[in-house]
Amino acid sequence: MARDRNSFLFKFMLTLLVIIVINFFLPRIMPGDPFSMTSDIDSGDEVIVMTEQQRLYYTEYYGLHLPLHEQFVIYIKNLIKGDLGKSIYYKMSVIDVIRLHLPWTMLIVLASTVFSTIAGVILGIFSAKNRKKGSDRLMMAGMIAFAEIPSFLLGLILLLIFNVYLQLFPLAGAVTPFAVYGGLLDHIWDIAYHAFLPVMTLSFAQLTGVYLLTRNSLITVTSKDYIRTARSKGLGEKIVWNRHALRNALLPVVTRAGFMIGIMMGGVVLVESVFSYPGVGMLLRSAVIARDYPLIQGVLLVIAVSILVCNFLVDKIYCKLDPRVSI
Amino acid sequence: MTKSVEVSGNNNIFSSLRASAGKIGKTIASTFSKFSAEGKIGIFGLICILLMAALAPLITLYPPQKITGDSLEAPGTAHILGTDELGMDIWSQICYGARMSLLIGLAVAFISGFGGGAVGILAGYMGGFVDLALMRVIDVTMALPSFPLLIVISAFLGPSVFNVIFILVLFSWAKPARIARSQTLSIKKNNYIVAARNYGAKPFYILRRHIFPEVLPVLFILVIGISSHAIIAEAGLAFLGLGDPTSKSWGMMLNNATSFKSIYFTPYWQWWLLPPLFMLIGLLLCLAFIGRDMERIFDPKLMIKKGFQS
Repeated sequence: MARDRNSFLFKFMLTLLVIIVINFFLPRIMPGDPFSMTSDIDSGDEVIVMTEQQRLYYTEYYGLHLPLHEQFVIYIKNLIKGDLGKSIYYKMSVIDVIRLHLPWTMLIVLASTVFSTIAGVILGIFSAKNRKKGSDRLMMAGMIAFAEIPSFLLGLILLLIFNVYLQLFPLAGAVTPFAVYGGLLDHIWDIAYHAFLPVMTLSFAQLTGVYLLTRNSLITVTSKDYIRTARSKGLGEKIVWNRHALRNALLPVVTRAGFMIGIMMGGVVLVESVFSYPGVGMLLRSAVIARDYPLIQGVLLVIAVSILVCNFLVDKIYCKLDPRVSI
Repeated sequence: MTKSVEVSGNNNIFSSLRASAGKIGKTIASTFSKFSAEGKIGIFGLICILLMAALAPLITLYPPQKITGDSLEAPGTAHILGTDELGMDIWSQICYGARMSLLIGLAVAFISGFGGGAVGILAGYMGGFVDLALMRVIDVTMALPSFPLLIVISAFLGPSVFNVIFILVLFSWAKPARIARSQTLSIKKNNYIVAARNYGAKPFYILRRHIFPEVLPVLFILVIGISSHAIIAEAGLAFLGLGDPTSKSWGMMLNNATSFKSIYFTPYWQWWLLPPLFMLIGLLLCLAFIGRDMERIFDPKLMIKKGFQS
C-alpha cells in the first residue's frame, strides 16, 4: 500500500508538471509574435507599434533571446516565487488580479459543495428508505435525466426564470454596486442574495451524483449482515439507521464532496459567465476576450492547482476516516 | 469459365454481405425492441435532429449567414422563429447549427472512442513496458482539468472546427483506452484465446476475431457518452466566444444572444436565446436516454456497478 501512496504522489507531481509544461510552451508555439500587432496577416499591413530598439529591450526584458531550456528554468523560478507575470489588460501583476477574484469563486464553490452534499444525502436517504416504491423510481428517473443538463445551460434557464421573468434576483455581480451597508449582517445578506443563483446552479448540477451515491451505498450497507444483527438485537430503527447504516454509507460521500470541488472548478468558468459573477471564471472569460495571455495562463494554473490539491487532500482525509484503506 | 467463377465468387461475396447486412439489421431491430419508452423517444429525437441537419437547405427559407430581414424581428410568417440582431433568420441558424454540434460530437466520439479503444486493446494485449507507459499517460490525462485546459488551448491555437475536434479528442481518448485495456486483460486470460494461439493464430487475428468484437459493445456505450461530452464542451467553448467564427453553432448563438447588451431587459431573449438552449438540452437528453438503454441492453454488469439496480 505504501507503494501505492508513493505512486499517487508521483502522479500528482507528474500531472502538475504536465500542466506547467503546457502553460510554458503554449504561448511559444502559438503562431504570431507578441511584439507585432498584426491587424490583417493576409493583406500584409503589419502595424508595428514598437521601434526596433523597444523590441530589443522587451525581448531582453522577458528573456526571449535566451535558449528555450533557460527560459523554462527562469519560468519555474518565477513560479516558485509566486510571480506569474503581468496582466496586459489590468496593468497589474497577474497574482494580484487573481487574488481579487478568487474569494468569490471559492465562496460559491464551497457553498455549493456544502449545499449539494446535504441535499443529495437527504434525498438519497429518502429514496433508499422508500426503495422499490413509486416515489423512489420517479425520483431516480427524474434525477438521472436532470443530471444530463450541463451546468451552464441550467444556469441560463434559472437566470431566465428567476431573474428575467420573475425578476427576483439581480442579473449580475456579487454585491450591489455603490451600496452603503447598515451593518455586517446587511453586507452578508447582500452577498448571499447575489450568490444564491450561481450556488443553486452549481449544486443542482452536482446533486444527482451525491444522491445516487448515497442511495446506492445505503442500499449496499443495509443488506449487510451487521445491520441484520443490529435489528435482531432489538435496536430501534432510528439507531440502526443513524449509527450503523449511515455512518458506513456516508464514507464515499465524503470523498465525493472533495472531488466535487475539483469538478466544479472546471464548470464554474461557464456558470460565472452566465451570471456575470466576478470570480476567476469570469476573469478567464474576459482574459480570453481581451487576449490577455499572461492572465489566461495564471488563471489556468490557479484552477488546475486547486483541483489537484483538492483531489490530493481528499485522498489524505479518506485514509483518516476509513482506516481500512491504509492497511 | 473464368468469368463464371468470378461471378460466382462475386455472388458468394454478395450473399455473405447480404447475410451480414441482414444480421446487422436483425440485431438493430432486436436491440430497438429492447429499448424502453425513454430510449425510443431518444432515438426519435436524435433522428429528428439528424434530419434537420441533413435537410437544412430544404427546410429553411434563408441562408443562415445572410441578412434577410429586419433586426430582431419577432417570430412571424416571414421568419418562423424571428431574426437576430443582424437580421439573420433564427430557424436557419438552428438547422445549420445542428450540423456543427453533430459533426463535432460524432467526430470526437468516433475518433477518440475507437482510436482510444484500439490503443487500449493493443496495450492490454501486448502488456509489458508499452502497457505500463500507456497507463501512466492515461492516468495523467484523466487527472488533467479538462475544461480549463480546453479553454486555454483553444484561446492560444485559435478557434477552428479542426482545432476544437483535435483538442477534444486529446482529452477524451483516455477513458475508452483504459476500459478497452481492462476488458482486453480479462478476455486475454480465457481458455479459447489460449487455444486459438496454440493453433497458431497470429496476434492480429486474435485481436480482430476474438477481442475486438467483445470490447465493441462497451466502446459503443462510451462513444455515446463522449459525444454528449463533446457537444457540451463545444457549446461551452462557443458560449465563451471560442467557437469557429465562420460557422454558426448553437453555442455561438447563445454567445451572441447573451453578449447582446440589453437582452434580458427586452423580449428578444424569448426567440433568440430559448431555441438554441432547448435544442442543446433536447439533444443531450436524447443521447443520454439512448446511452442508458444501450448500457442496460449490452452490459447488465456495468449497470449494477454504476448503481442502477433498483
